[in-house]
Amino acid sequence: MIFRRLGKLMAAAAILALPLTAHAADAIRIGITMPTQTLLGKQAVQAAQTAADLINQDGGVAGGSQIELVAYDDENSPVAGVAAAQRLIDQDGVKFVIGQMSSTVALAILPVAQAAGVVFVPTVPKHTDITKAGYDKLFRLNSTVAMDSAVFNGIIKDTAKAKKIAYVIENTDFGRLLLDSIKKSLEGTGAAVVYEGFYDLQQSDFGNLLTEAKASGADTLVTGGATVEQYANVIRSAAEVGFKPDNIIISPGSLNANVIKLAGASAEGTMSSDIYLPSIDTPLNKRFVEAYESKYGMKPEKTEELTFEGVWLLARAIDKAGSDDVAKVAQTLHANAWETPRGEVRFDDAGQAISQSFVVAIKDGAIGRR
Amino acid sequence: MWEIWVQQLFNGLSAGMAYALVALGLTLIFGVLHVINFAHGEFYLMGGLGLVLIVQATGIPYPVAVLGAVIVAAAVSWIVDRVVVRDVVDRPGGFSTVLLATYAVSLLVSQAVFFTWGSAPQRVDGIPGILEVGGVTITYQRLVVVFAGMAVLVVLDLVLRRSALGRETRAVAQDAFAARVVGIDVRRVRTVTFVISGAIAGLAGALLTPISLFSPHMGEAVLIKAFVVVVIGGMGNVGGAVVAGVSLGLLEAILGRFIAPGFALALIYSLLVAVLLVRPNGLLSPSR
Repeated sequence: MIFRRLGKLMAAAAILALPLTAHAADAIRIGITMPTQTLLGKQAVQAAQTAADLINQDGGVAGGSQIELVAYDDENSPVAGVAAAQRLIDQDGVKFVIGQMSSTVALAILPVAQAAGVVFVPTVPKHTDITKAGYDKLFRLNSTVAMDSAVFNGIIKDTAKAKKIAYVIENTDFGRLLLDSIKKSLEGTGAAVVYEGFYDLQQSDFGNLLTEAKASGADTLVTGGATVEQYANVIRSAAEVGFKPDNIIISPGSLNANVIKLAGASAEGTMSSDIYLPSIDTPLNKRFVEAYESKYGMKPEKTEELTFEGVWLLARAIDKAGSDDVAKVAQTLHANAWETPRGEVRFDDAGQAISQSFVVAIKDGAIGRR
Repeated sequence: MWEIWVQQLFNGLSAGMAYALVALGLTLIFGVLHVINFAHGEFYLMGGLGLVLIVQATGIPYPVAVLGAVIVAAAVSWIVDRVVVRDVVDRPGGFSTVLLATYAVSLLVSQAVFFTWGSAPQRVDGIPGILEVGGVTITYQRLVVVFAGMAVLVVLDLVLRRSALGRETRAVAQDAFAARVVGIDVRRVRTVTFVISGAIAGLAGALLTPISLFSPHMGEAVLIKAFVVVVIGGMGNVGGAVVAGVSLGLLEAILGRFIAPGFALALIYSLLVAVLLVRPNGLLSPSR
């Protein structure tokens, strides 16, 4: 009788030990939320998948574990974003959540991530409040408006020498924050914002706004935001209503090939600043661009690069730490400088990524460094 | 300064004409079939998508492509009528069923577009050129929208008031049972009304795409404004929809001269609430 008990005990122990032995070859899951029904959102997920593919091709991380990407649509809405994050954490058991396009969504997900103790890497959101939560496992990849401002305000003041600015942008946290930054940098210089036109995210006809901008006598048009179908149309509509500013400047990071495609010839000469260009000449960037372009038929741009980086950095950190333990991975990320397609990246104490910035412009129908 | 006023009023007129065209189909369907078509935004989308696909595939000139887009929208609306409206409308509870069914269709169509076309916006160039008179700048495309809108209204008015089909349509709108009794093919009249409404919405989509850019989301945004126009103008009131639509466009343009666009939008929705409270049959319908 005692042998039967022992036998049952041993059998139970063997069964319980099975998952532990299987662990070494398990996939490490990285969860991503993005507005997959928009163009940029879809492209971002494609870039994340490219990173996972390259990493898995190279042999995986931390002893051969493959990276598995789980993606959900956050619809650019905080409600859907939180639901997606919960699903990733509770149902799919992910310990690393990346993504979002919108700061509002990232800010909504942050407390959820913090409560669950997962590593949270917002890739595209720029709002300053994201790094103010004091969460040691938060890593924000995109530059903040404050960081971009120095270069961006320099473009407005010194390159464009703007005196009267028409500011036509989306009615969101981002749009308003950028305006505050511009106004502050123009204090005491004699230049001013003479027209403020905020449009809502459903708007598609900008004739009224641009006509008002024309009436204001502005010499510079500043636009931008997250929805390229809108700000590209703003640039096109400016030409259509006869508003011909000396310079058109787009918010930092918003100048991409879609602007040229949608605005056409009216976008010639448009300037911006950015932290990434597909033409950056490093082996890693060349590899990334080649892998993305061969699969998706177009060059990756900043949103793609940042989301690629989300997966890439986590994988590199897991590899260096030798495990997917969240505390170890977070510590490793903080303690090192990392090679990425945009150049070298390191994180400050609040989890903000720091890298270099370039001035870019559309010349002869293509984007290049100015 | 007056040039800016003229330009803004013209922008408002073209935007208002677009609202009127979309609202027109919606209110016609309500007036004749007495149902709400939630898929109406998708007919507008089909007009835009049809235009984009035809231009991309064949490169034929814009005016011909618009005609093709209208046919596409009409075909889609015919299918929708056949599947979820025609045989459902007369059943008990038909109103709610059609409302829900057309809502389901709208989800189906917009998701199908995302699944096949994707989420990419697209530019289609319409009638090129800008008219500059004094300090006023008007694009020919907007002029086309205004004139096409007026043409549609004139033709529709003639058909409704002077033709046999128009008489039958007004009879069905008044009382479908009595119309059947006097020998009118109610089913045919309803289908024709539905398809014409879809075609007009498709025309609006094809005419607006060069101005607003094609986007797979374009059906959603337009439907809300269309409902506002239909309610303010009176549900089923064709003339009311046109007046309300054009007025809405002009009001947005005028308010935009003084207050932020966000406030203008809030004011317009407040107007909607006010109309519902004071004259629920619409500003331009006889109050019963």
